[in-house]
Amino acid sequence: MSDIVVTWLKSTTLSHLMVEQPWLWPISETLHFIGLALLVGTAGIFDLRLMGFLKRIPIAAAMKMRVWAAFGIAINVVTGVMFFVGAPDQYIDNPAFWGKVLFLLLAMANIAFFETTQGARMLKMTADEDTPVSFKVAGAVSIASWFAVLYFGRMLPFIGQAF
Amino acid sequence: MMDILTTLEASAFSTWLRESSTMWAYPAVLTLHTVGLAVLVGASWAVDLRVLGFAEGIPLAALARAFPVMWIGFWVNAISGAMLFAADATTKGTTLLFMSKLGLVVVGVVTIVMIRRTVYGHGEPRLGTAARALAVTSLVVWIAAIATGRWMAYI
Repeated sequence: MSDIVVTWLKSTTLSHLMVEQPWLWPISETLHFIGLALLVGTAGIFDLRLMGFLKRIPIAAAMKMRVWAAFGIAINVVTGVMFFVGAPDQYIDNPAFWGKVLFLLLAMANIAFFETTQGARMLKMTADEDTPVSFKVAGAVSIASWFAVLYFGRMLPFIGQAF
Repeated sequence: MMDILTTLEASAFSTWLRESSTMWAYPAVLTLHTVGLAVLVGASWAVDLRVLGFAEGIPLAALARAFPVMWIGFWVNAISGAMLFAADATTKGTTLLFMSKLGLVVVGVVTIVMIRRTVYGHGEPRLGTAARALAVTSLVVWIAAIATGRWMAYI
């Protein structure tokens, strides 16, 4: 099954470009690291506030940083897809890749769950107010899962000797 | 100079780092280096964005805490970076690319120190043209540092 997927992906124009244009992969990787720094820095502020740190920052203000975190995620999803299409055989049987996907899904599910169940409550919080346990858990899960995504991403060449 | 680099590269630690197949050697140091960069550059960019006017509801005083976090990221990377350097001191360590990276990191750190002084150095935190110019510089310099760092993997 994975062979069919790999063969089909490798036949695409994007895949050929990724493999044949010598600068495309390094530039995409650079963008990927830029995206991760943006995400960690801006989501970090929001997640730390959710956990009850940085109490002088009103939650509504911390929320504004999320736009940049979303931008970082968007850059990394796009470049991530480019890597996968470029060399699918490096990823599809790589345990590190699936570890990365797992924690990426967890990070996104945590965001979605928190938004839908706690979003309204979040908007009503005042500055200096401590956060409820559900907020703290959401913030901690977010930080932990994004660092796990980073870890598995960094380990792609090493776990499973796929490269 | 080359003698020092050769000795460094041949040391027991460097040899272990470079040749050991355990994940606790090279992969672990590389991971720490990535974490350090995410923390240093991430915290720096968060402050830069605020200085440039995004999320104005965030009190400047509250972001003063970002600077110690940046130093933690910096030292994690200085130490992990020194280890990575030692492992390939005579090859990667002597390239123009690596020296450019170091130069950019120096400029990035100096920019952070200047932002701290400009915004927080005189009583009440305040913004101005100088702070904004420094913030833009910081955004650009760290992008360049990341690029040169990433391209080290290709030499």
